[in-house]
Amino acid sequence: MRSGSRLMRILGTTGVPIAIALVIVILVFQVLSPVFLRPSAVSNYLNNGIPILLITVGVAFVIVGGGIDLSIGTVAGLSAGMTIWAVGAGMPTPVGVLVGVATGLVFGVVNGFVITQFGINDFIVTLATLNVAGGLLIVLSENVSLRGVNAPGLASLTQGSTLGIPTSFWIAVVIFVVMQFLLMRTVFGRRLFATGVSSEAATLAGVEVRRVRFNTFVISGVLAGAAGVLLASRLGAVQAFLGMGYEFTAIAGAVLGGVSLAGGRGSVWAAVVGGLMLATLQQGLRLNGVDPVYFSIVTGLAIVTGVVFDRQAQRLVLRRNVGGGPAQAVGAHPVAPEASHARETGVKS
Amino acid sequence: MAVPDAPDAMLVVEGVTKRYQGVTALLDVDLSVRPSEIHALLGGNGAGKSTLINVLAGVTAPDEGTITLDGERLEIRKPSDALAHGITTVHQELSLVPALTTLDNIFLGREMRSGPPGLKVKLDRKTMTKRVESLAAEFGLSRIDLQLPVGEFGALKKRVVEIVKALAFEPRLLILDEPTSGLEDDERHRLFEYMRALRDRDVSLIWVTHHLDELFGLADTATVFRDGQTVGSVPVSDTSTDDLVQRMFGIAASELSGTREDAAPERVTEPGAEVLRLSDVSQGTVLREVSLSVHRGEILGIAGLAGAGRTELARAIMGVDKISSGSVHLHGKRVQVRHSSGMYRRGLAMVPEDRKHLGILGDLSIAENISISNLRRVSRFGFVVNKGSEAARAEEYRKSMSIRTPDVHAKIRNLSGGNQQKVIVARCLNTDPSVLIFDEPTQGIDVSAKVEVHNLIRDFVAAGGAAIVIASEVAELIELSHRVLVMKKGRLVGEITGIPEALADNRYDEVEHRIVSLAAGRSVA
Repeated sequence: MRSGSRLMRILGTTGVPIAIALVIVILVFQVLSPVFLRPSAVSNYLNNGIPILLITVGVAFVIVGGGIDLSIGTVAGLSAGMTIWAVGAGMPTPVGVLVGVATGLVFGVVNGFVITQFGINDFIVTLATLNVAGGLLIVLSENVSLRGVNAPGLASLTQGSTLGIPTSFWIAVVIFVVMQFLLMRTVFGRRLFATGVSSEAATLAGVEVRRVRFNTFVISGVLAGAAGVLLASRLGAVQAFLGMGYEFTAIAGAVLGGVSLAGGRGSVWAAVVGGLMLATLQQGLRLNGVDPVYFSIVTGLAIVTGVVFDRQAQRLVLRRNVGGGPAQAVGAHPVAPEASHARETGVKS
Repeated sequence: MAVPDAPDAMLVVEGVTKRYQGVTALLDVDLSVRPSEIHALLGGNGAGKSTLINVLAGVTAPDEGTITLDGERLEIRKPSDALAHGITTVHQELSLVPALTTLDNIFLGREMRSGPPGLKVKLDRKTMTKRVESLAAEFGLSRIDLQLPVGEFGALKKRVVEIVKALAFEPRLLILDEPTSGLEDDERHRLFEYMRALRDRDVSLIWVTHHLDELFGLADTATVFRDGQTVGSVPVSDTSTDDLVQRMFGIAASELSGTREDAAPERVTEPGAEVLRLSDVSQGTVLREVSLSVHRGEILGIAGLAGAGRTELARAIMGVDKISSGSVHLHGKRVQVRHSSGMYRRGLAMVPEDRKHLGILGDLSIAENISISNLRRVSRFGFVVNKGSEAARAEEYRKSMSIRTPDVHAKIRNLSGGNQQKVIVARCLNTDPSVLIFDEPTQGIDVSAKVEVHNLIRDFVAAGGAAIVIASEVAELIELSHRVLVMKKGRLVGEITGIPEALADNRYDEVEHRIVSLAAGRSVA
């Protein structure tokens, strides 16, 4: 390996190009408005961004397995509503948290079950549950008051701090580390990648593809539930339509980070970096006095630019390192393998 | 041994060199093709045939060298340049769109349109049909076939559609890359007829093949490549398989047949204990009341034409597809097959057909491809993958099976076909199977890798395993198997036992005849 190939390999790692882009974007915003990196501003925007980062990580699991989950946004909204309702009804904070997470779990199980047992397209199933969860939140918010709830315990999850850093930040970091470990180091993670690369080939190699895919929807649901709990904690009140559209931000963030929609490629930290990129852009625009009506246009352009940038970087690395099939095949036989041929026996004549 | 000077050559390739990132894929390659000849390109995996074809087809640009067609020097920079000069390539991978009709596939990207001037948006299927009708008929495609979606056709018909598509625009030179892969014996012969017909139409053919026995009586000239260089060209009538093998691999064919006789399985003893038994297994209409048993130390061959249910049988045994009735017994105990993972745990393993799509997990490394069927073996506490022991195991297989790769962490898709197949066999062996099923184990790999895979199968059986081998090539089945079952329309229609003994008595032709007759459904003489 020649010098420079090490650098190329690092650049080719999923998420690295976008992480470099993120650092550049942060530096630019810091120059434009020096308050950008002030601790209070950072903790504020992280607190806002963490719920979406959680569902980004959840949906990244589904996408790595070659699937898609559109229900996560409204499920997070419904979970937030359920948490507020539970706490407002006088239940202790831990129970409220459990109610929120369990709401996500239920949706994950239903999605996974219908998709894997009946073999129905995941896009359709999760589009349906997106509507069901959104509708349930509307019904819930019309029947019970989801505002003005006095719940200091719940609020402390996002508004309190531990060792000087917001508690929600710790929660998120622990979740990210655990999920990264699950994806990259465990038997489940490996089977998930195999499933995403080719579910047919994985099945023939003895991977129980249906169970793997079921599990990804459960993970996605549970993380949407956790996102809902943090939303409830930060907002203290929930309106109908909360969470709608979050799924697209989450999917865009994951893809921006290098999680391939074709499946089989990606990582948790890459998805987080992609999600952070979108959150950072919004924060930077806000601090620079850009009218919020333009945010969605900028976000859209950023997604396209970012993905093009990332793929070009990957392609460059691939071209430098691999060169193409035939070359590799020659490289694999380092010339005149007479010795190895000698032990290969006769040819049909 | 230089390329013979051919003053009447139509296509002349001179001094073509192609390097990828320091690796030389082609070095100073020469080739000359005469008008209306069938010109075979031979060489092991990685010899440079595919790269040369890609250069001629405009898929890759050469670093050095010239290409001359009818005395005119060509600059081929992209596929459309090649087409414009009448050079058409039928790649090994079919490039048809299954949902489109034959006609639409033939004209894909070159559609004829009708409509008012400036608004010619309507496909003019009438004119298109007229244009290819007679050509298609020559190749056995009816008017109705032209209107049917290609996805409904079998392998041969798809191949024929590709050829008609190539001919519709009157090529001077047609390049066929492994055109017989995926075809049955009789389909091969029909394709050869078509190739002769093409030669008679004054088209020159460049034909890449791994099957040396196909050349004789068909190809006019053969050019051999080794390690990216031209070894030489010979008239096919002046050569022999042994001679060609020597040129391809650089040593005498007699030296290749070293320690082992490739012609006949060794064991002529009584079979061992029964390992796997199927009783009246049916699955919808594709499998009907199949009963069979496999024993330790035995290679059981499964023959049959395409659609006879061979692959379906393998998938049913592995629990990939659910059976509708019947039972499967392993080591005398009935197993309810629900999923392949359960069958792998119980000691079954399978090397699937269509390695590229169903065998390898292309984006994963060699080590990851080996461990995937038995991750328990390389994990701590049953769920954390230990990458160190995973790599160590892969390294053992790399050495013991001579998988040619510098690094077990390389992506499997970068290996040659033969080495990929060895990795898939390693994956299966890593599960310590008692029964190993091979579905078309040597499809698309070169002769030397084929011998290696055959030896792996024999070694597995000699160590007490039981193997089931499915192959379209009857010769391969006879070489390997102790016993062959013949399938037709989802049923077992016959059994040929004692094949090693028959071969020892020089009764090869009789065995072959019985298998072919049973598979085709003719009465056995």
